[in-house]
Amino acid sequence: MIFLVYGGSGSGKSAYAENLVMKLNSKNKYYLATMKVYGKEGNERVIRHKKLRAGKGFVTIEKETLDLLDAIKYEIPKINSTVLIECVSNLTANEMFKDNRILKPEEVIKKICDDFDRLKNTAENFVVVSNNIFEDGIDYGKNTENYIKALGAINIHLAEIADKVTEVVCGIPLELK
Amino acid sequence: MELYVGGSNQGKYEYAKKIHDEKNIWNDFHLFVKSKIMDGLSVEEIEFEIEEKIISNPALVIISNELGCGVVPFDKDDRMYREITGRLLCRIAEKAESVYRITCGIAQRIK
Repeated sequence: MIFLVYGGSGSGKSAYAENLVMKLNSKNKYYLATMKVYGKEGNERVIRHKKLRAGKGFVTIEKETLDLLDAIKYEIPKINSTVLIECVSNLTANEMFKDNRILKPEEVIKKICDDFDRLKNTAENFVVVSNNIFEDGIDYGKNTENYIKALGAINIHLAEIADKVTEVVCGIPLELK
Repeated sequence: MELYVGGSNQGKYEYAKKIHDEKNIWNDFHLFVKSKIMDGLSVEEIEFEIEEKIISNPALVIISNELGCGVVPFDKDDRMYREITGRLLCRIAEKAESVYRITCGIAQRIK
């Protein structure tokens, strides 16, 4: 099963996603951390998320410039396994702004959607967390607009391949699919 | 008349196109509002133009971006654009037979 968990910043989507992983109760739980850690704020965020996961039996797959397909190398068992991927907005940014160059949104969309399509059968469950950054109506200029466009298209693809889509608002889960 | 709202890049137009005749679809309503504000029209004048379009085509499908879930814009024109679009959408939603919110390409009927 693929679960997409979607919500704004600070909506409680991570906590919801981690609880969902616990409910799925797979023997093998993996956490795919995608954030490049910058400075104090980044560190604090990582510490907060690590506390949330503490004692829950996650194997953390952590790579700064993570390629999604690197997860395959961990030889995740196909049954009794759940992979938590957090967060697609970081994956998209990492891919788009890698190695001091900027990829076109179409390239980023293709790369990440293809990666998810290849990855989706490698574990029993995937819980994928993504971000709502689409509702403020502000024009951020070309590069950021391209990033927003890419994340929007990737979210739509994930919602299509997902069995369940949940939007989290103030910690409250709303079933979209 | 139907209304589709949602964030940018959520697949609103693609969704509406699957259900409705393209000739009835009025996409990017928010940009229409923006251009009318830039032309110097008042809210009442913009509303009058919208009203005319709705009356002339009862099968109209209006699609708009959600603009309101962010920090108050620094620029006055941006603030006006955001506020006026929001208010107009409320009035359109009142008149609409149905209103859908599109998220990640998925529609939720909210009216």
